[in-house]
Amino acid sequence: MTEPDRPAGAFDPDRPYRRSRSVALRPESFGALVYHFGTRKLSFLKTPELVEVVTGLERHPDVHAAIDAAGVAVAQRPSYLRALAGLAESGTIERRTEKDRAVEDEA
Amino acid sequence: MAFWRYPMTPSEQPDSVSEEPVVEETLVEEISIDGMCGVY
Repeated sequence: MTEPDRPAGAFDPDRPYRRSRSVALRPESFGALVYHFGTRKLSFLKTPELVEVVTGLERHPDVHAAIDAAGVAVAQRPSYLRALAGLAESGTIERRTEKDRAVEDEA
Repeated sequence: MAFWRYPMTPSEQPDSVSEEPVVEETLVEEISIDGMCGVY
């Protein structure tokens, strides 16, 4: 299978991701507040499902699986993918590497 | 029939009408707190 034509480092929902180690997430009634210690940006995740996706990323082999597990409606999936692409661009979520997975397997 | 009850033709519909769910615009909102005082 050939790789999709994406710029290096671009968000790729077929790959494993995780919440960045540089962010703190605080649950709120509307969803969650996320603070990035590096960029000093505050993000509002405005649905509980998006919070579930973001926090569940590291338990799934790719972004699609995390979205499925969070119970996101099919009609809303494109919106969630766009939101996650934005979160990847801002550094709130990041690609998991082989090294990350090796460390997780040891734990 | 009042004029607002007539169906609009496509050319009369506002450009902003979209099939996208409203939720798209509200999923994530981001602000920078750089330079704010008293937030720490």
